[in-house]
This record gives sequence, C-alpha cells and structure tokens, in this order.
Amino acid sequence: MIGAVEAIRVKGLSYSYSDGTKALEDIDLTINEGEKVVVVGPNGAGKTTFFLHLNGTIKNPGGDVWVFGKKISDLKIEERIHQVGVVFQDPDDQLFMPTVFDDVAFGPVNMGLDEKEVEMRVHKALSKVGLEDFEEKVPHNLSYGQKKRVALAAVLSMEPRVLVLDEPTANLDPKSRADFINLIIDLNEIDGITTIIAMHDVNALPALADRVYVLNKRVVAEGSPREIFSDWSLLKENSLEAPDVFKLFKVLNCFGYSSDDLPLSFDEAVEILTRTIEGTEGHIHLHIHEHTHKEISDVMNSYNHHRNGKE
Amino acid sequence: MEYPEIDAYASMDSPIHRFDPRAKIVSFTLLIFSFVFVNEIRIALLGFLFSFLILLISRLPLAFALKRIRMVFFFLFPLLLVMPLTVEGREVLNITGISVSFDGLIFASLIIIRALAAVTLALIMLATTRFDITIKALYALKVPGTLVQMLMFTYRYIFVITDEFSRMWESMECKGFRLKANYHGLSIFGNILGMIIIKSYDRTRRVYESMVAKGYSGKPNTLVHLHMSTKDYVLSTCMVGIAIFVHVYQLMFTV
Repeated sequence: MIGAVEAIRVKGLSYSYSDGTKALEDIDLTINEGEKVVVVGPNGAGKTTFFLHLNGTIKNPGGDVWVFGKKISDLKIEERIHQVGVVFQDPDDQLFMPTVFDDVAFGPVNMGLDEKEVEMRVHKALSKVGLEDFEEKVPHNLSYGQKKRVALAAVLSMEPRVLVLDEPTANLDPKSRADFINLIIDLNEIDGITTIIAMHDVNALPALADRVYVLNKRVVAEGSPREIFSDWSLLKENSLEAPDVFKLFKVLNCFGYSSDDLPLSFDEAVEILTRTIEGTEGHIHLHIHEHTHKEISDVMNSYNHHRNGKE
Repeated sequence: MEYPEIDAYASMDSPIHRFDPRAKIVSFTLLIFSFVFVNEIRIALLGFLFSFLILLISRLPLAFALKRIRMVFFFLFPLLLVMPLTVEGREVLNITGISVSFDGLIFASLIIIRALAAVTLALIMLATTRFDITIKALYALKVPGTLVQMLMFTYRYIFVITDEFSRMWESMECKGFRLKANYHGLSIFGNILGMIIIKSYDRTRRVYESMVAKGYSGKPNTLVHLHMSTKDYVLSTCMVGIAIFVHVYQLMFTV
C-alpha cells in the first residue's frame, strides 16, 4: 500500500453513556492510509459509538483521535467531514432532506463549496453508486437498497479520505449485497479511500478486510482475517463466527486433505482446491481413520458454539 | 396505509403549476388573507367562485380537491345549526319559542364561505408544487430557518413514521388485536402511540448525529434554483390586484 501514512490513530479512548454504562474502554488502534479494516464484535460492543468518535460527531475530551496526524478536536467542521465520512446503518436516519439531490448536496454545501462544484460532486457521487438521474426523486419512493446507495453517495460527495461504514450489507438482497461490496472494494482500490467497516456478515468480511479488529468495549484482538478466524476461542468469547467455507476446509483437513492456506471465501476455495488437485496429479485423496471422527467432532464443537451444545 | 400526499398531482401541467413557487406563495397568501377578511357575503361568494375557477384552471382532479375541502366543510357545518339560534337579529322562523335568526344564518354562511375559499386556495397552492420545492421557495423567501427545517423534517419523516405505524399495526393484527372502543382497545392504542413517540425520539438523535457527521451547524442548507419570468410577474400582479380590489370594492359599497 501507499507507504505507511497514518490515517487514523486512536489512543486511550474511553467513553461512557450518560447513564454511566461503559461503552468504550481504553481503545488503542492505528489505521494506515489505503487500508481496508473491518471491525467485528457482538451487538452492543460499542462499534457505532466508536465510529461516531472517528469524525468527531461525539465530542469526547476523554480520548484522543488523530486523523492524518491532526487531532480531531482541533479540526474545523469542513475539514473534519472532508477527512472522515461515516455511513450509518439505517438509511432513513441519513436521508433527511426532501430530495435525493438535497441529501447528496448537504455535505458539500456545508463545506462551503460553490454551486457549480456542489452540482458536479452530486452528479459524480450518484453515478459512482449507479444512481444517475435520481436527483429529483424523494427518499420515500426508493427501495431499501437504493436508499442505502444514496446514503453512501451523500457521504462520497464530501470526497472523504477515510470512509466508515456501519453494517453496509445488513438487510440487502444477495444481488444488492454483492454490488455494494464491489462498490466498496472499488472505492478502496481504485480511489484509494481508506475503509473502516463494522459488519456481522463473516462471509463477506474477507473481501473487505486486510485487517480485522475485534471490538468488545475494548480492542480484544487484531490480525488478518485468517488469524482471527483460526482462533476459535476468541470467536466464541465474542459471539463471532467463521465463514462456512473456512469451517468446511477445517473438516476436509481432518479427512486428510492438506493445503497450506484455508480459504476464507467461495472464490478462494475454488482456486485453492484447483491448485491442490493440479499439484497432486489430478486427484486428491480423502480418507477416514479411527481418529478422524474424533477430530471432526472437535472441529464441529469448536466452531459451532452457537448451537448451545446441540450435537 | 394511505400516505398524506398533498403533492400527488404536482407533476401535472397548467398555468398554476407553471407559476413560480415563490410568486405563487406570496400571491396566494395575500389572496387568502384578502378573502378571509371580507365581511360582505356576496363578495365572499365571489371570492369563493374565484378560488374555484383557479382550481379548474389548475386541472387538479376535482375528486382529490373536494375530498380535502369537504373535510373542512364538515368541520364548520355545525356553525350553520348553532349560529342561527345564538346570534341576535331578524327572525325568520319561530319554532315553539326558539327563534331562528336570519343574521345568524348569514353570519354562519359567511364564515363557511370564507373558510372554503381560503382552504381551496391553500390546497391549490400546495398541490400544484412539489412539496420540496415549496419548502425551497419558503427558504428563498427568507422564512425563518427553524420553520423551514420543521416543515422539511415533517415532510420527510411523516412517511417513515406512517410506515413504522403500519408495521406495528400489522403485527398487532397478526396477534389477533382488533380495535374496539373499549378500555382495553384504547389503552393498547395509547401504547402504540407512545411507542411511536419513543421510536421517533430515538430516531431524531440518530438523524441529528448523521447531520452533524455531514457538517450541520444549525442553518438549513440547500441550493435553490428558481427563476421568475414575465408571465410570473403578470400573474402575481393580477392576483395581488384582485386581493386589493376585493377590499376597495367592499369599502365603496358598504360606505
């Protein structure tokens, strides 16, 4: 990636809700420019609260957030929203203006850009998310997937260097989900936007993550998707899960299949499987020994912790 | 559930639809005030006929308009029954000692006709412009920002809240609830309304957060593109002229 410019740096961030409940405890993390980072954690782990800190929406004197080397509390509003854009989970919370145009123009107008520039940015952002000619539409006539894309466009129009997305794939149909994931990947790889995503959708995670943070009020773990998914006790403690393909290949290992990497996605699985079979002269050998059943049930038990002990 | 779509026919084409929204708001508002302050029933009737004429010119479906105007009529109708009995004046009828006054009848009719004229005009004004454009026109007319924003959010979220309400209602019906006018039914209905308020309250916080995240600092910020043409100036001058003429005419004939 592009050198190692620090995009986000959080040091000792703690936060409590007004009723005294601790939401975040002593968070330390650093995200470099151009990285794709996913934050996972159970419901109520403070992901949304954490994200609200990243662009200064929650003003918290008790913690330090630096964006591209500058302290967020020192930045002016226009600068702050230009650096970090946050897309929240429910698009109805973000599309608050009467028309799509007004919504996408809201950020740029607040940045004090002139009319021509605002219009250009609205047009550009809408075509980026594949919704050209939607300017005059009113939000209540859009489908959920379209609303979600408008919400993204409304943040892209501010041309942020860091894009933060809360549950981008939740409630989308498979096609919209796939489109949305590809869109985010493009934004990261083509436009060089640093992306930070919170999601429960483990099957989509590997495509969106160079690195994963496990957040449960504090940073519990950090590592590559493969490292995180291999640590089943970590997953269990934090009510998380590994992708199905990953679990399936763990089982294949018990049957004597050996490969260096366990795939995290369907595409990767096809690729690895093909490579392995080609490397072993056209076929692979699976077998059952006496100890195989024991190994399989161990794998099942460690990864199926959500089934509450049902065999 | 039916959406309260006042601007469902805003995309039609008519001279009233084409009227610049700012000029429309100003001249219709003046007309409304003018007609409401008339105190001669014949002139009020002319005002109402004029409003109806504009309604015809606007080509709005009559069923759509009448449905709304009718509601106002039902609301005011009791005046016709009450005022003849309460206002003192020339007697037209005497039913077993209760006198029905002619002046009361006239006064009630005057109130109703003025109200109907005003409502018809207001309806045409709102129904012939997309609501978001009406809001922008108000913004361009320098109406206080807080008011504009209140209207804006009402318009945006009335649909969201309507949906939320119907989802809750459906789920209650799925569990066998039928609204009856008894204690149980009403208390459940109270709960559902309370729930809507709590949900809306939570939503306002999230909406506010997302506004702040986009740099909101208290002002309504939108771009307005409206252009007045000669036609708009002529039309608004005519309307303002009528608004003034009505009162000059009334002065001349009542003095």
